[in-house]
Amino acid sequence: MSPYILAILLFSLGLGTTITFSSTHWLLAWVGLEINTLAMLPLMAQNHHPRAVEAATKYFLIQASGAAVLLFAGVINAWLTGQWDIHQAAHPLPIAIITLALSLKLGLAPLHSWLPEVFQGLNLTTNLILATWQKLAPLALMLQIQPPHSSLLIFLGLMSTLGGGWGGLNQTQLRKILAYSSTAQLGWMILVVQFSPSLTTLAILVYVVTTSATFLTLKLNKATNINMLAISWAKAPALMALTPLVLLSLAGLPPMTGFMPKWLILQELSKQGLPATATITALTALLSLYYYLRLTYAMTLTMFPNNITSTPPWRLPSAQLTLPLAILALAAISLLPLTPAAMALVAL
Amino acid sequence: MAYFVYLFMVGLVLGMAVVAVNLSPYFAAFGLVVVAGMGCGVIISFGGSFLSLVLFLIYLGGMLVVFAYSAALAAEPFPESFGTTGAVLYFMGLVGVVGVFAILYIEEGSGLGGCSSDEVMGMSSCVTEYDGMSQMYGPGGFLLVLCAWVLLLTLFVVLEMTRGSSRGPLRSVK
Repeated sequence: MSPYILAILLFSLGLGTTITFSSTHWLLAWVGLEINTLAMLPLMAQNHHPRAVEAATKYFLIQASGAAVLLFAGVINAWLTGQWDIHQAAHPLPIAIITLALSLKLGLAPLHSWLPEVFQGLNLTTNLILATWQKLAPLALMLQIQPPHSSLLIFLGLMSTLGGGWGGLNQTQLRKILAYSSTAQLGWMILVVQFSPSLTTLAILVYVVTTSATFLTLKLNKATNINMLAISWAKAPALMALTPLVLLSLAGLPPMTGFMPKWLILQELSKQGLPATATITALTALLSLYYYLRLTYAMTLTMFPNNITSTPPWRLPSAQLTLPLAILALAAISLLPLTPAAMALVAL
Repeated sequence: MAYFVYLFMVGLVLGMAVVAVNLSPYFAAFGLVVVAGMGCGVIISFGGSFLSLVLFLIYLGGMLVVFAYSAALAAEPFPESFGTTGAVLYFMGLVGVVGVFAILYIEEGSGLGGCSSDEVMGMSSCVTEYDGMSQMYGPGGFLLVLCAWVLLLTLFVVLEMTRGSSRGPLRSVK
Protein backbone atom coordinates (compact mmCIF):
# COMPACT_ATOMS: atom_id res chain seq x y z
CA MET A 1 0.00 0.00 0.00
CA SER A 2 1.26 3.45 -0.91
CA PRO A 3 2.26 5.51 2.14
CA TYR A 4 0.03 8.39 1.00
CA ILE A 5 -3.02 6.11 0.92
CA LEU A 6 -2.01 4.69 4.29
CA ALA A 7 -1.78 8.20 5.71
CA ILE A 8 -5.24 9.08 4.36
CA LEU A 9 -6.73 5.89 5.79
CA LEU A 10 -5.14 6.29 9.22
CA PHE A 11 -6.17 9.95 9.34
CA SER A 12 -9.75 8.98 8.51
CA LEU A 13 -9.66 6.24 11.12
CA GLY A 14 -8.81 8.88 13.70
CA LEU A 15 -11.30 11.35 12.22
CA GLY A 16 -14.22 8.91 12.47
CA THR A 17 -13.66 8.16 16.13
CA THR A 18 -13.11 11.85 16.90
CA ILE A 19 -16.36 12.83 15.17
CA THR A 20 -18.31 10.22 17.09
CA PHE A 21 -16.69 11.29 20.35
CA SER A 22 -17.52 14.95 19.85
CA SER A 23 -21.01 14.60 18.37
CA THR A 24 -24.23 15.39 20.16
CA HIS A 25 -26.36 14.57 17.12
CA TRP A 26 -27.28 11.01 16.11
CA LEU A 27 -26.63 11.66 12.42
CA LEU A 28 -23.09 12.89 13.07
CA ALA A 29 -22.39 9.96 15.40
CA TRP A 30 -23.48 7.63 12.60
CA VAL A 31 -21.26 9.49 10.11
CA GLY A 32 -18.28 8.97 12.41
CA LEU A 33 -18.94 5.25 12.74
CA GLU A 34 -19.26 4.87 8.98
CA ILE A 35 -15.99 6.72 8.34
CA ASN A 36 -14.34 4.40 10.84
CA THR A 37 -15.61 1.30 9.06
CA LEU A 38 -14.70 2.58 5.59
CA ALA A 39 -11.15 3.51 6.58
CA MET A 40 -10.60 0.17 8.29
CA LEU A 41 -11.52 -2.01 5.31
CA PRO A 42 -8.40 -1.53 3.09
CA LEU A 43 -6.19 -1.89 6.16
CA MET A 44 -7.79 -5.27 6.80
CA ALA A 45 -7.47 -6.45 3.20
CA GLN A 46 -4.03 -4.96 2.52
CA ASN A 47 -2.37 -8.37 2.12
CA HIS A 48 -4.96 -9.42 -0.46
CA HIS A 49 -5.08 -13.06 0.46
CA PRO A 50 -8.52 -14.70 0.47
CA ARG A 51 -8.78 -15.06 4.27
CA ALA A 52 -8.09 -11.36 4.82
CA VAL A 53 -10.58 -10.32 2.15
CA GLU A 54 -13.17 -12.70 3.60
CA ALA A 55 -12.60 -11.16 7.03
CA ALA A 56 -12.89 -7.65 5.57
CA THR A 57 -16.13 -8.60 3.82
CA LYS A 58 -17.60 -10.03 7.02
CA TYR A 59 -16.51 -6.97 8.94
CA PHE A 60 -18.06 -4.68 6.34
CA LEU A 61 -21.40 -6.51 6.34
CA ILE A 62 -21.65 -6.57 10.14
CA GLN A 63 -20.58 -2.97 10.66
CA ALA A 64 -22.79 -1.73 7.81
CA SER A 65 -25.86 -3.47 9.23
CA GLY A 66 -25.04 -2.21 12.73
CA ALA A 67 -24.67 1.34 11.46
CA ALA A 68 -27.87 1.09 9.39
CA VAL A 69 -29.82 -0.11 12.43
CA LEU A 70 -28.31 2.72 14.47
CA LEU A 71 -29.38 5.26 11.85
CA PHE A 72 -32.85 3.70 11.75
CA ALA A 73 -33.14 4.02 15.52
CA GLY A 74 -31.93 7.63 15.36
CA VAL A 75 -34.60 8.45 12.75
CA ILE A 76 -37.28 6.70 14.82
CA ASN A 77 -36.10 8.72 17.82
CA ALA A 78 -36.33 11.96 15.84
CA TRP A 79 -39.78 10.99 14.59
CA LEU A 80 -41.13 10.14 18.04
CA THR A 81 -39.52 12.88 20.13
CA GLY A 82 -38.78 15.62 17.59
CA GLN A 83 -35.07 16.02 18.32
CA TRP A 84 -31.78 14.36 17.42
CA ASP A 85 -29.83 14.95 20.60
CA ILE A 86 -27.96 11.91 21.89
CA HIS A 87 -28.28 12.85 25.54
CA GLN A 88 -32.00 13.44 25.36
CA ALA A 89 -32.97 10.20 23.66
CA ALA A 90 -35.54 9.01 26.14
CA HIS A 91 -38.04 6.84 24.27
CA PRO A 92 -37.56 3.14 25.15
CA LEU A 93 -37.96 1.80 21.58
CA PRO A 94 -35.07 3.66 19.91
CA ILE A 95 -32.92 3.17 23.02
CA ALA A 96 -33.38 -0.59 22.84
CA ILE A 97 -32.63 -0.68 19.09
CA ILE A 98 -29.55 1.52 19.57
CA THR A 99 -28.28 -0.71 22.37
CA LEU A 100 -28.58 -3.79 20.15
CA ALA A 101 -26.97 -2.03 17.16
CA LEU A 102 -24.02 -0.93 19.26
CA SER A 103 -23.73 -4.44 20.73
CA LEU A 104 -23.49 -5.80 17.20
CA LYS A 105 -20.77 -3.29 16.37
CA LEU A 106 -18.86 -4.00 19.56
CA GLY A 107 -19.21 -7.78 19.33
CA LEU A 108 -21.18 -8.37 22.54
CA ALA A 109 -22.76 -11.79 23.01
CA PRO A 110 -25.19 -13.00 21.69
CA LEU A 111 -24.16 -10.82 18.70
CA HIS A 112 -20.46 -11.68 18.89
CA SER A 113 -19.99 -14.64 16.56
CA TRP A 114 -18.52 -12.49 13.75
CA LEU A 115 -15.66 -11.33 15.95
CA PRO A 116 -13.53 -14.53 16.15
CA GLU A 117 -14.02 -15.16 12.43
CA VAL A 118 -12.85 -11.67 11.52
CA PHE A 119 -9.91 -11.79 13.94
CA GLN A 120 -8.73 -15.12 12.58
CA GLY A 121 -8.35 -13.76 9.04
CA LEU A 122 -6.19 -10.74 9.92
CA ASN A 123 -2.66 -10.10 11.03
CA LEU A 124 -1.91 -9.22 14.65
CA THR A 125 -1.35 -5.48 14.10
CA THR A 126 -4.74 -5.06 12.43
CA ASN A 127 -6.29 -7.12 15.21
CA LEU A 128 -4.74 -4.76 17.72
CA ILE A 129 -6.44 -1.78 16.04
CA LEU A 130 -9.68 -3.72 15.83
CA ALA A 131 -9.63 -4.73 19.49
CA THR A 132 -8.76 -1.30 20.85
CA TRP A 133 -9.35 1.74 18.64
CA GLN A 134 -12.42 0.43 16.85
CA LYS A 135 -14.18 -0.30 20.14
CA LEU A 136 -13.87 3.27 21.39
CA ALA A 137 -16.46 5.01 19.22
CA PRO A 138 -19.39 2.59 19.81
CA LEU A 139 -18.53 2.45 23.50
CA ALA A 140 -18.57 6.26 23.70
CA LEU A 141 -22.14 6.19 22.34
CA MET A 142 -23.05 3.39 24.74
CA LEU A 143 -21.88 5.59 27.62
CA GLN A 144 -24.20 8.40 26.61
CA ILE A 145 -27.55 6.68 26.26
CA GLN A 146 -29.84 6.29 29.24
CA PRO A 147 -31.74 3.00 29.06
CA PRO A 148 -35.06 3.02 30.91
CA HIS A 149 -34.71 -0.61 32.01
CA SER A 150 -31.54 -2.16 33.32
CA SER A 151 -32.41 -5.72 32.28
CA LEU A 152 -31.26 -5.52 28.62
CA LEU A 153 -27.78 -4.27 29.48
CA ILE A 154 -27.38 -6.77 32.32
CA PHE A 155 -28.45 -9.56 29.96
CA LEU A 156 -25.94 -8.46 27.32
CA GLY A 157 -23.19 -8.15 29.92
CA LEU A 158 -23.80 -11.56 31.46
CA MET A 159 -24.12 -13.25 28.08
CA SER A 160 -20.85 -11.65 26.96
CA THR A 161 -18.81 -12.68 29.99
CA LEU A 162 -20.31 -16.15 29.74
CA GLY A 163 -20.07 -16.49 25.95
CA GLY A 164 -16.63 -14.93 25.80
CA GLY A 165 -15.35 -17.38 28.41
CA TRP A 166 -17.16 -20.39 27.03
CA GLY A 167 -16.27 -19.81 23.39
CA GLY A 168 -12.56 -19.55 24.06
CA LEU A 169 -12.30 -22.81 26.00
CA ASN A 170 -11.78 -25.15 23.09
CA GLN A 171 -9.70 -22.86 20.87
CA THR A 172 -6.11 -23.44 19.90
CA GLN A 173 -5.87 -20.33 17.72
CA LEU A 174 -4.56 -17.35 19.66
CA ARG A 175 -6.38 -14.73 17.59
CA LYS A 176 -9.73 -16.43 18.23
CA ILE A 177 -8.92 -16.71 21.92
CA LEU A 178 -8.17 -12.99 22.04
CA ALA A 179 -11.43 -12.25 20.19
CA TYR A 180 -13.40 -14.19 22.81
CA SER A 181 -11.38 -12.45 25.48
CA SER A 182 -12.44 -9.12 23.95
CA THR A 183 -16.11 -10.15 24.14
CA ALA A 184 -15.75 -11.19 27.77
CA GLN A 185 -14.00 -7.97 28.79
CA LEU A 186 -16.60 -5.84 26.99
CA GLY A 187 -19.26 -7.76 28.90
CA TRP A 188 -17.82 -6.42 32.16
CA MET A 189 -17.89 -2.87 30.77
CA ILE A 190 -21.49 -3.14 29.57
CA LEU A 191 -22.62 -4.65 32.84
CA VAL A 192 -21.64 -1.56 34.79
CA VAL A 193 -22.27 1.15 32.17
CA GLN A 194 -25.66 2.19 33.53
CA PHE A 195 -24.55 2.25 37.17
CA SER A 196 -21.18 3.93 36.84
CA PRO A 197 -20.02 5.14 33.40
CA SER A 198 -16.66 6.18 34.84
CA LEU A 199 -15.96 2.53 35.73
CA THR A 200 -16.67 1.58 32.11
CA THR A 201 -14.14 4.18 31.01
CA LEU A 202 -11.62 2.79 33.48
CA ALA A 203 -12.27 -0.76 32.27
CA ILE A 204 -11.75 0.13 28.59
CA LEU A 205 -8.53 1.98 29.42
CA VAL A 206 -7.14 -0.98 31.34
CA TYR A 207 -8.34 -3.39 28.65
CA VAL A 208 -6.60 -1.35 25.93
CA VAL A 209 -3.31 -1.47 27.86
CA THR A 210 -3.41 -5.17 28.71
CA THR A 211 -4.65 -6.40 25.34
CA SER A 212 -2.12 -4.22 23.50
CA ALA A 213 0.66 -5.77 25.57
CA THR A 214 -0.66 -9.25 24.72
CA PHE A 215 -1.00 -8.58 20.99
CA LEU A 216 2.47 -7.02 20.81
CA THR A 217 3.96 -10.02 22.63
CA LEU A 218 2.37 -12.39 20.15
CA LYS A 219 3.53 -10.17 17.29
CA LEU A 220 7.09 -10.19 18.58
CA ASN A 221 7.01 -13.99 18.70
CA LYS A 222 5.07 -14.29 15.42
CA ALA A 223 2.79 -16.74 17.21
CA THR A 224 -0.76 -17.39 16.05
CA ASN A 225 -1.54 -20.70 17.70
CA ILE A 226 -0.67 -22.45 20.93
CA ASN A 227 1.96 -24.71 19.40
CA MET A 228 3.86 -21.76 17.97
CA LEU A 229 3.59 -20.05 21.33
CA ALA A 230 4.96 -23.13 23.07
CA ILE A 231 8.18 -23.13 21.07
CA SER A 232 8.62 -19.36 21.01
CA TRP A 233 10.24 -19.06 24.43
CA ALA A 234 13.62 -19.33 22.78
CA LYS A 235 13.10 -16.04 20.90
CA ALA A 236 12.88 -13.79 23.97
CA PRO A 237 13.33 -15.59 27.31
CA ALA A 238 12.94 -12.46 29.46
CA LEU A 239 9.66 -11.58 27.75
CA MET A 240 8.46 -15.12 28.31
CA ALA A 241 8.94 -14.62 32.03
CA LEU A 242 6.77 -11.49 31.93
CA THR A 243 4.04 -12.69 29.57
CA PRO A 244 2.23 -14.95 32.08
CA LEU A 245 1.81 -11.92 34.32
CA VAL A 246 0.37 -9.91 31.41
CA LEU A 247 -2.03 -12.73 30.55
CA LEU A 248 -3.12 -13.13 34.17
CA SER A 249 -3.57 -9.37 34.34
CA LEU A 250 -5.94 -9.71 31.36
CA ALA A 251 -7.69 -12.44 33.33
CA GLY A 252 -8.01 -10.06 36.30
CA LEU A 253 -5.91 -11.66 39.02
CA PRO A 254 -5.18 -9.48 42.09
CA PRO A 255 -1.66 -8.11 42.10
CA MET A 256 -1.90 -7.00 38.46
CA THR A 257 -3.55 -3.98 36.79
CA GLY A 258 -6.35 -6.07 35.30
CA PHE A 259 -7.75 -6.68 38.76
CA MET A 260 -8.57 -2.98 39.16
CA PRO A 261 -11.68 -2.71 36.94
CA LYS A 262 -13.02 -6.14 37.94
CA TRP A 263 -12.68 -5.31 41.63
CA LEU A 264 -14.41 -1.95 41.31
CA ILE A 265 -17.13 -3.31 39.02
CA LEU A 266 -17.97 -6.12 41.45
CA GLN A 267 -18.03 -3.58 44.28
CA GLU A 268 -20.34 -1.29 42.31
CA LEU A 269 -22.70 -4.17 41.44
CA SER A 270 -22.89 -5.16 45.12
CA LYS A 271 -23.58 -1.56 46.09
CA GLN A 272 -26.43 -1.44 43.56
CA GLY A 273 -28.11 -4.41 45.24
CA LEU A 274 -27.23 -6.98 42.58
CA PRO A 275 -25.25 -9.60 44.54
CA ALA A 276 -26.48 -12.47 42.35
CA THR A 277 -25.34 -10.72 39.15
CA ALA A 278 -22.00 -9.91 40.73
CA THR A 279 -21.50 -13.54 41.79
CA ILE A 280 -22.39 -14.96 38.38
CA THR A 281 -20.09 -12.48 36.64
CA ALA A 282 -17.22 -13.33 38.96
CA LEU A 283 -17.79 -17.03 38.25
CA THR A 284 -17.87 -16.53 34.48
CA ALA A 285 -14.47 -14.82 34.79
CA LEU A 286 -13.18 -18.26 35.79
CA LEU A 287 -14.06 -19.55 32.32
CA SER A 288 -11.85 -16.87 30.81
CA LEU A 289 -9.18 -17.58 33.38
CA TYR A 290 -9.02 -21.16 32.10
CA TYR A 291 -7.79 -20.24 28.65
CA TYR A 292 -5.43 -17.55 29.89
CA LEU A 293 -3.95 -20.15 32.22
CA ARG A 294 -3.67 -22.61 29.38
CA LEU A 295 -1.70 -20.09 27.32
CA THR A 296 0.50 -19.45 30.35
CA TYR A 297 1.03 -23.15 30.83
CA ALA A 298 1.91 -23.87 27.21
CA MET A 299 4.25 -20.92 27.03
CA THR A 300 6.12 -20.84 30.31
CA LEU A 301 5.34 -23.65 32.66
CA THR A 302 6.36 -26.54 30.45
CA MET A 303 9.38 -27.14 28.28
CA PHE A 304 8.52 -28.81 25.01
CA PRO A 305 10.84 -31.60 23.85
CA ASN A 306 12.60 -29.79 21.03
CA ASN A 307 16.10 -30.43 19.84
CA ILE A 308 18.92 -28.24 21.05
CA THR A 309 19.35 -26.36 17.78
CA SER A 310 16.03 -24.60 18.29
CA THR A 311 17.27 -22.75 21.38
CA PRO A 312 19.83 -20.25 19.97
CA PRO A 313 17.37 -17.75 18.39
CA TRP A 314 17.42 -15.53 21.48
CA ARG A 315 20.95 -14.48 20.53
CA LEU A 316 19.63 -12.86 17.33
CA PRO A 317 18.35 -9.31 17.88
CA SER A 318 14.80 -8.77 16.67
CA ALA A 319 14.20 -6.02 14.12
CA GLN A 320 10.86 -5.12 15.68
CA LEU A 321 10.35 -2.05 17.82
CA THR A 322 10.13 -3.27 21.42
CA LEU A 323 9.81 -0.05 23.42
CA PRO A 324 5.96 0.15 23.22
CA LEU A 325 5.75 -3.47 24.32
CA ALA A 326 8.05 -2.82 27.28
CA ILE A 327 6.01 0.15 28.48
CA LEU A 328 2.65 -1.53 27.92
CA ALA A 329 3.70 -4.77 29.60
CA LEU A 330 4.92 -2.89 32.67
CA ALA A 331 1.70 -0.88 32.77
CA ALA A 332 -0.36 -4.05 32.35
CA ILE A 333 1.37 -5.70 35.28
CA SER A 334 2.06 -3.07 37.89
CA LEU A 335 -0.49 -0.25 37.88
CA LEU A 336 -2.80 -1.61 40.59
CA PRO A 337 -1.40 0.71 43.32
CA LEU A 338 -2.49 3.66 41.17
CA THR A 339 -6.18 2.74 41.52
CA PRO A 340 -7.16 5.95 43.40
CA ALA A 341 -5.40 8.11 40.80
CA ALA A 342 -7.04 6.16 37.95
CA MET A 343 -10.46 6.61 39.56
CA ALA A 344 -9.81 10.34 39.90
CA LEU A 345 -8.76 10.44 36.24
CA VAL A 346 -11.97 8.90 34.92
CA ALA A 347 -14.38 10.45 37.43
CA LEU A 348 -17.37 11.84 35.56
CA MET B 1 -54.12 11.47 -3.02
CA ALA B 2 -54.45 9.15 -0.06
CA TYR B 3 -54.77 6.18 -2.43
CA PHE B 4 -51.52 7.18 -4.11
CA VAL B 5 -49.79 7.30 -0.73
CA TYR B 6 -51.01 3.80 0.07
CA LEU B 7 -49.96 2.59 -3.38
CA PHE B 8 -46.45 3.95 -2.85
CA MET B 9 -46.17 2.48 0.64
CA VAL B 10 -47.42 -0.96 -0.38
CA GLY B 11 -45.09 -0.89 -3.40
CA LEU B 12 -42.19 0.00 -1.08
CA VAL B 13 -42.86 -3.00 1.15
CA LEU B 14 -43.41 -5.39 -1.77
CA GLY B 15 -40.21 -4.24 -3.49
CA MET B 16 -38.25 -4.73 -0.29
CA ALA B 17 -39.75 -8.21 0.11
CA VAL B 18 -38.59 -9.09 -3.41
CA VAL B 19 -35.05 -8.13 -2.39
CA ALA B 20 -35.31 -10.09 0.84
CA VAL B 21 -36.44 -13.44 -0.58
CA ASN B 22 -33.09 -14.10 -2.31
CA LEU B 23 -34.08 -14.61 -5.90
CA SER B 24 -31.49 -14.34 -8.66
CA PRO B 25 -29.28 -11.24 -8.30
CA TYR B 26 -30.87 -9.17 -11.03
CA PHE B 27 -34.33 -9.63 -9.56
CA ALA B 28 -32.90 -8.20 -6.34
CA ALA B 29 -31.49 -5.25 -8.30
CA PHE B 30 -34.88 -4.80 -9.95
CA GLY B 31 -36.57 -4.94 -6.53
CA LEU B 32 -34.26 -2.17 -5.32
CA VAL B 33 -35.25 -0.06 -8.33
CA VAL B 34 -38.92 -0.54 -7.37
CA VAL B 35 -38.11 0.38 -3.75
CA ALA B 36 -36.28 3.52 -4.87
CA GLY B 37 -39.09 4.61 -7.15
CA MET B 38 -41.80 3.98 -4.60
CA GLY B 39 -39.72 5.60 -1.87
CA CYS B 40 -39.44 8.73 -4.01
CA GLY B 41 -43.22 8.64 -4.37
CA VAL B 42 -43.61 8.43 -0.60
CA ILE B 43 -41.29 11.41 -0.13
CA ILE B 44 -43.24 13.43 -2.71
CA SER B 45 -46.52 12.66 -1.00
CA PHE B 46 -44.99 13.83 2.27
CA GLY B 47 -44.09 17.14 0.67
CA GLY B 48 -40.47 16.77 -0.43
CA SER B 49 -40.47 17.16 -4.20
CA PHE B 50 -36.87 18.35 -4.67
CA LEU B 51 -35.47 15.74 -2.28
CA SER B 52 -37.25 12.94 -4.12
CA LEU B 53 -35.97 14.24 -7.46
CA VAL B 54 -32.38 14.17 -6.17
CA LEU B 55 -32.88 10.71 -4.69
CA PHE B 56 -34.43 9.41 -7.89
CA LEU B 57 -31.66 10.69 -10.17
CA ILE B 58 -28.66 9.81 -7.98
CA TYR B 59 -29.88 6.53 -6.52
CA LEU B 60 -31.29 5.16 -9.75
CA GLY B 61 -28.10 6.21 -11.53
CA GLY B 62 -26.17 4.05 -9.08
CA MET B 63 -28.73 1.25 -9.28
CA LEU B 64 -28.37 1.18 -13.06
CA VAL B 65 -24.69 0.34 -12.64
CA VAL B 66 -25.48 -2.30 -10.01
CA PHE B 67 -28.12 -3.80 -12.28
CA ALA B 68 -25.78 -3.93 -15.26
CA TYR B 69 -23.01 -5.42 -13.10
CA SER B 70 -25.16 -8.09 -11.49
CA ALA B 71 -26.79 -8.98 -14.81
CA ALA B 72 -23.36 -9.33 -16.41
CA LEU B 73 -21.85 -11.25 -13.48
CA ALA B 74 -24.71 -13.65 -12.86
CA ALA B 75 -26.26 -14.13 -16.27
CA GLU B 76 -28.03 -17.41 -15.62
CA PRO B 77 -29.93 -19.18 -18.40
CA PHE B 78 -32.56 -20.35 -15.89
CA PRO B 79 -32.82 -17.63 -13.23
CA GLU B 80 -34.48 -18.49 -9.96
CA SER B 81 -37.76 -16.61 -9.87
CA PHE B 82 -41.08 -16.89 -8.08
CA GLY B 83 -41.67 -20.24 -9.76
CA THR B 84 -39.92 -21.98 -6.88
CA THR B 85 -42.43 -22.58 -4.11
CA GLY B 86 -40.08 -21.69 -1.26
CA ALA B 87 -39.62 -18.17 -2.55
CA VAL B 88 -43.38 -17.63 -2.77
CA LEU B 89 -43.93 -18.88 0.79
CA TYR B 90 -41.09 -16.73 2.10
CA PHE B 91 -42.47 -13.72 0.25
CA MET B 92 -45.98 -14.26 1.62
CA GLY B 93 -44.56 -14.75 5.11
CA LEU B 94 -42.56 -11.51 4.99
CA VAL B 95 -45.45 -9.45 3.67
CA GLY B 96 -47.77 -11.09 6.20
CA VAL B 97 -45.50 -10.20 9.12
CA VAL B 98 -45.23 -6.58 7.94
CA GLY B 99 -49.00 -6.43 7.48
CA VAL B 100 -49.70 -7.79 10.96
CA PHE B 101 -47.32 -5.28 12.50
CA ALA B 102 -48.90 -2.48 10.49
CA ILE B 103 -52.40 -3.43 11.68
CA LEU B 104 -51.30 -3.89 15.29
CA TYR B 105 -49.10 -0.87 15.81
CA ILE B 106 -50.18 1.89 13.47
CA GLU B 107 -53.43 3.39 14.65
CA GLU B 108 -55.02 6.50 13.21
CA GLY B 109 -53.59 9.79 14.48
CA SER B 110 -50.50 8.24 16.06
CA GLY B 111 -48.23 10.21 13.78
CA LEU B 112 -46.96 7.08 12.01
CA GLY B 113 -50.01 6.94 9.76
CA GLY B 114 -48.89 9.77 7.54
CA CYS B 115 -48.77 13.53 7.37
CA SER B 116 -46.97 16.01 5.15
CA SER B 117 -43.85 17.84 6.20
CA ASP B 118 -45.68 21.18 6.07
CA GLU B 119 -48.20 19.88 8.57
CA VAL B 120 -45.36 18.84 10.84
CA MET B 121 -43.92 22.32 10.84
CA GLY B 122 -47.30 23.94 11.51
CA MET B 123 -48.20 27.16 9.77
CA SER B 124 -44.87 27.51 7.97
CA SER B 125 -45.02 29.76 4.94
CA CYS B 126 -41.90 28.45 3.21
CA VAL B 127 -41.37 24.91 2.04
CA THR B 128 -39.18 23.19 4.61
CA GLU B 129 -36.93 21.28 2.22
CA TYR B 130 -35.64 24.45 0.52
CA ASP B 131 -35.09 25.89 3.96
CA GLY B 132 -33.06 22.82 4.92
CA MET B 133 -31.07 23.02 1.69
CA SER B 134 -30.01 26.59 2.37
CA GLN B 135 -29.08 25.53 5.89
CA MET B 136 -26.83 22.87 4.41
CA TYR B 137 -24.77 25.47 2.52
CA GLY B 138 -24.79 27.92 5.43
CA PRO B 139 -24.38 26.66 9.00
CA GLY B 140 -23.86 23.09 7.78
CA GLY B 141 -20.84 23.93 5.64
CA PHE B 142 -18.49 21.91 7.83
CA LEU B 143 -20.61 18.80 7.33
CA LEU B 144 -20.72 19.40 3.59
CA VAL B 145 -16.91 19.41 3.52
CA LEU B 146 -16.94 16.28 5.68
CA CYS B 147 -19.27 14.52 3.23
CA ALA B 148 -16.99 15.50 0.34
CA TRP B 149 -14.05 14.03 2.27
CA VAL B 150 -16.00 10.80 2.83
CA LEU B 151 -16.67 10.52 -0.90
CA LEU B 152 -12.95 10.98 -1.60
CA LEU B 153 -12.13 8.40 1.07
CA THR B 154 -14.60 5.97 -0.48
CA LEU B 155 -12.85 6.37 -3.82
CA PHE B 156 -9.51 5.45 -2.26
CA VAL B 157 -11.08 2.55 -0.33
CA VAL B 158 -12.67 1.10 -3.44
CA LEU B 159 -9.44 1.48 -5.43
CA GLU B 160 -7.46 -0.23 -2.67
CA MET B 161 -9.95 -3.06 -2.31
CA THR B 162 -10.08 -3.84 -6.01
CA ARG B 163 -6.43 -3.35 -6.94
CA GLY B 164 -4.45 -6.20 -8.42
CA SER B 165 -6.88 -6.65 -11.34
CA SER B 166 -7.28 -10.37 -12.02
CA ARG B 167 -5.05 -11.34 -9.08
CA GLY B 168 -7.18 -9.42 -6.59
CA PRO B 169 -9.36 -11.72 -4.49
CA LEU B 170 -12.46 -9.57 -4.94
CA ARG B 171 -12.42 -10.36 -8.67
CA SER B 172 -12.12 -14.10 -8.17
CA VAL B 173 -15.80 -14.64 -8.99
CA LYS B 174 -15.91 -15.75 -12.59
